[in-house]
Amino acid sequence: MVDASLSRPPVRRAPVETAARVRLRRTLELTGRVLSDPTTVIGLVIIILMLAMALLAPVITTPNVPDPYQMPRDWGAVRMPPLTEGHLLGTTNNGGDVLYGVIWGARTSLYLSLLVVSITVVVGTIIGSIAGFLGGRFDNVLMRIVDVFLSIPELIFALAIAAVLGPSFANIVLALAVTFWVKYARIMRAQIIRVKQNDYVDAARVIGDSKLRIYFKDILPNSITPVMVQATMDMGHVVLVGATLAFIGLSEAGIAEWGVLVSEGQAGISSGRWWASTFPGLMVFLWALAFNLVGDGLRDALDPRTEGR
Amino acid sequence: MTMTADASLARQPATAADDLVVSVRGLEKHFPIKEGALQRVVGQVRAVDGVSFDIRRGETVGLVGESGCGKTTLGRCVAALSDPTGGGIYFGLSAQHRDRLDALLAVPEARRGEAERRALAEIEAAHRIDRLQGNAWRNFRRNCQVVFQDSFASLNPRHLVKDIVGRPLEVYREASGTALTERVVELLEQVGLGRQHLYRYPHQFSGGQRQRISIARALALNPEFIVLDEPTSALDVSVQAQILNLLHDLQQQRNLAYLFITHNLSVVRHMADRIVVMYLGRVAEAGPTEAIFDRPEHPYTGALLAANPDLTDDLDGAMRTLEGSVPDPARPPQGCRFHTRCPVVTPACGWEVDDVVRWLADREAGFDRLSGVERKDAFEADLVFEDDAAVAKLSAALRSDAVPMAMREATEALEVRGRKLHVRFRRVSEVELTPRGPHHEAACVRSGPLPV
Repeated sequence: MVDASLSRPPVRRAPVETAARVRLRRTLELTGRVLSDPTTVIGLVIIILMLAMALLAPVITTPNVPDPYQMPRDWGAVRMPPLTEGHLLGTTNNGGDVLYGVIWGARTSLYLSLLVVSITVVVGTIIGSIAGFLGGRFDNVLMRIVDVFLSIPELIFALAIAAVLGPSFANIVLALAVTFWVKYARIMRAQIIRVKQNDYVDAARVIGDSKLRIYFKDILPNSITPVMVQATMDMGHVVLVGATLAFIGLSEAGIAEWGVLVSEGQAGISSGRWWASTFPGLMVFLWALAFNLVGDGLRDALDPRTEGR
Repeated sequence: MTMTADASLARQPATAADDLVVSVRGLEKHFPIKEGALQRVVGQVRAVDGVSFDIRRGETVGLVGESGCGKTTLGRCVAALSDPTGGGIYFGLSAQHRDRLDALLAVPEARRGEAERRALAEIEAAHRIDRLQGNAWRNFRRNCQVVFQDSFASLNPRHLVKDIVGRPLEVYREASGTALTERVVELLEQVGLGRQHLYRYPHQFSGGQRQRISIARALALNPEFIVLDEPTSALDVSVQAQILNLLHDLQQQRNLAYLFITHNLSVVRHMADRIVVMYLGRVAEAGPTEAIFDRPEHPYTGALLAANPDLTDDLDGAMRTLEGSVPDPARPPQGCRFHTRCPVVTPACGWEVDDVVRWLADREAGFDRLSGVERKDAFEADLVFEDDAAVAKLSAALRSDAVPMAMREATEALEVRGRKLHVRFRRVSEVELTPRGPHHEAACVRSGPLPV
């Protein structure tokens, strides 16, 4: 060894490093970067409040029996304005408590977005990965299918599916899942095609690692970031589109769902009963806004051009 | 595929010390050019077009050429990262097997008898890397490693150094747990790094240190052979020297063979035992390093040397400039591929219709009146013009000293036929490698030393 010492930094007696400690530090660093943006923090706070509301719904309200997702009906207190005793945000035309709807609606939205986003992320990632990793004929066939899906406007497509299947919450989940996976397939394919050109993938081939291990160790972890950003944004977007479908009557009537509540309350707006639509509408707005803010923050913090450099 | 070149290679008599790590024979890598919605194949980019050479145990072969000459593609084929479209790469041939193989390949495919075909298939099954199976394939994979040019892109940014260097050991289940960590430390120490670097990410290192990590990874499986694809061209000159010395020391300690791919002649002079100069997918010249530097036989080698003033002081004059750019490898020039840029070109170098078209393209006046080229073949065509005056003008120009003397002498026919100008050049076949000295060969129609 001739001049190896030239590039060797002076040996310091540093504390013993372990892989776990280094990885933890990196995670903390990333978290710090995400939290350094105030708008992201605002979004996160809103999301945490929403989640707390959704999780604590059975504690802070008296669940309706037998189905807590159905609006309770108080026929003795119909069309009451906000700040009425027992009905802090007023009641609807049918005597439904708006506050109950807002709180349990958060739970419905959480269900809806988690279900749709997890299904679409998994399906889209698998299909995009097959297309991008295997290429050739698989790529051609899969991407033409994706093109067909993309050629139909998202909302109209979801609307058509939900209309054909009939009005129900489960059908909204299905309609949104069928429409939303395409984006993930596209993003994932593009990422994989980009990442697999990196020399470290060839380096892994040279040492004789298997295709599957190369995919899971080298390709997937380096291509998943934009999918995660998109998924965060879609947590909000799904609720927005879901509420739209519910608003035009494709969900079950009478359930505690923000879109349904806006729909039920909108007839009264012209008569001055603004509360029945406004509060659930505001929730949809805040939910979508919060996830968009966090999604943007994640994108900036995890930008592959700056990350790890 | 042209196999005739192999038969003419000048070779030493076979001895055991002469065992080969890698033998490249008639290697071709053509990339299809696709066009239109149906992706019809409209042509082939001939990135590597019939290359043969050997790498012996413990030897460094320098592969030199301008960017775009196919040297990286060749390196990727040798490391089995790309599949060749023709020819083969043979791993671990003994000298006897190599001679047998060359004798078999010298017979054109159509004339091979049953016994010859069987003998060839036997050698291919045991040594040709795209035919290897099971253990033989794993053996090749372990013994042939690569160090890439871009040290950042070749290390996974999410993996710790320990995981990167330890990964080959993990793949072959050679070590795990603390034993793995100790092996990684050992490897890091061999490349001038140490235990303190185990748990760091690639971005925390300098370019030179990252290249050391790449080298440690390549050494992990104790290979016989490493493809070095411009390992130092992204580094500072001082760091470059350190890495080159490291590579040199490792070679001494481990009897490694290197295929050193570079465009930098001073680096190969320092590193290589033998040099292969590539131009447009073919070997222009190959030979021992001193012979190449002292007595270059191919004008392209001469031009490369002259472009490096510190390497030589007696090779300027005619050799000083290398003008123009590398021609399109989808349509390589006829004859000698270097004739379009050669400073000492002769009438026998493969003048062709494309040379006229290229010449016309260089002067605006006249070319826009050219309405078509009716080719009979690469050497004979009718150039169709829109008016008679242009035909007469070009005809006169091609007879004058506006075009190179060698081109005029290679013209066999030049006739005005109405609005067409009929041209025919001397038909020349591709220039093959011919012996120029001990183990030294060049593909040039000239013989004798280059004019100074």
